[in-house]
Amino acid sequence: MDTSQLLKGVLDLAVLAVLRKDDGYGYDVVRRLRAGGLNDVGDASVYGTLRRLYNAGLLTSYVVPSEEGPHRKYYSINETGRARLAESRETWRSFASTLDGLLEEVAA
Amino acid sequence: MNTQALGVEYYLAGMRAALDDLPPGEVAEIMEDVEAHVAELSTELGENETLEQRLGSPVQYAQELRQAAGYPPRTERLPVTTKKGLLSRPRAAAWGLGIATGITLLVGVAALREPVFLLLLPGVILVLSLALVHDRGPVQAEIMGLPETRKIQQWLTPEVGTPAERAITYLKSLQPAWWLARAGLLGLGAVLLAGRDIPGFLAIAAIAVVSVFAGPRAKVDRRWLWFSLPASALAVGLLFQVLDVTANNLAYNTRSSYQQAPVMESYENIYAYDENGKLLTNVLLYDQDGNPINAQRQYYGCRDSDPQPMIPANRYPRPKIDYENGTCYTVAPSVSAPSSTPSTPPSSSGSAPSSPVPPTSVSPSK
Repeated sequence: MDTSQLLKGVLDLAVLAVLRKDDGYGYDVVRRLRAGGLNDVGDASVYGTLRRLYNAGLLTSYVVPSEEGPHRKYYSINETGRARLAESRETWRSFASTLDGLLEEVAA
Repeated sequence: MNTQALGVEYYLAGMRAALDDLPPGEVAEIMEDVEAHVAELSTELGENETLEQRLGSPVQYAQELRQAAGYPPRTERLPVTTKKGLLSRPRAAAWGLGIATGITLLVGVAALREPVFLLLLPGVILVLSLALVHDRGPVQAEIMGLPETRKIQQWLTPEVGTPAERAITYLKSLQPAWWLARAGLLGLGAVLLAGRDIPGFLAIAAIAVVSVFAGPRAKVDRRWLWFSLPASALAVGLLFQVLDVTANNLAYNTRSSYQQAPVMESYENIYAYDENGKLLTNVLLYDQDGNPINAQRQYYGCRDSDPQPMIPANRYPRPKIDYENGTCYTVAPSVSAPSSTPSTPPSSSGSAPSSPVPPTSVSPSK
């Protein structure tokens, strides 16, 4: 099964989750997701997701000058984002357990 | 290395083209992310690896990003782009900043003569225009994406390697020095105002102090430009004024030192003629207060031992004194009178004040 299709639905949740503790710039977020096991995540998808979450008011951003190269724009999760994360987490948990239940029945 | 830099530029240009139907502000935000991303990736690339191999073509990258960000596909045009209108909030804010900076410059030029409360006008404009865009974050991507701001950015980023580019790079390196100089100029302006305008003094002194922090802050958070730019304008205005005042003082000093030598005293003698061109002798000159009008030398005559009486110093024409064989002679004024009579002798209509002392009958000749 192609995980990239699955990933599309939950990338928001994954991005909010890796920003939960520390702010990060785009490539940071990509690395954290990959380090967390989402090896197939596309760079551009992550950047697009960041923009969408930002435009939805779940993230704020600030710029940190870099000694070499362009500025880095850091994203940080705000209160709305945290609320959304908590809500999506519940949705995911119940969805995942529902699906687990279905799969158990199939296996049985 | 160079080809890699070129590769980055090429890649970013491709991205921009693939996104150019989106609102400029949004494109600027995306590109800010992507520029950092591509720059960082390019340092990780292997010897024969290209950005395209890692990220796909710019068009593919843009497409994936658009999809994830929820933008419409390339073919559709966002209605917002065309409906943006001439007067958006970012534009109003940008122009407000520009206009307020201009006014501040003018107020700065006049600050030592005009009341400083005129600064309230640009101050109000700045607060209002910043309020329009304060919630748009530190990057102010929408303002950076306005056509007029991009034009300015184009001017400020000439092609790499040209003298203009080197000059701008050099000026940019002087920026921290300017922040200090700016605070110094503002402080000087405040000091000059201290004696006359206490509110103005306090206002400019406060601006001077905050400006030290505003410079570096504005590099990270563009909203500080609403303070930093007008502060620079005020400092430049004050600089103009300090130069102007200094120049005026210099001019005034040369003029006044010239005036300190009244014309009368540069004359050794005065010859008065009546309307018939006849030389008047034993004329006593007084000013409106009855003070004798004396030519250069106050006391006139030979030495005390000389039997000749002292002559009032304001009696004209003065005798010419000749020292011959160690003795002092006074030579009759008629002899030393100018050979050519003035073409228009002054009229005797009595412009000379009436003499409180009648002329003595002492003849100046020996």
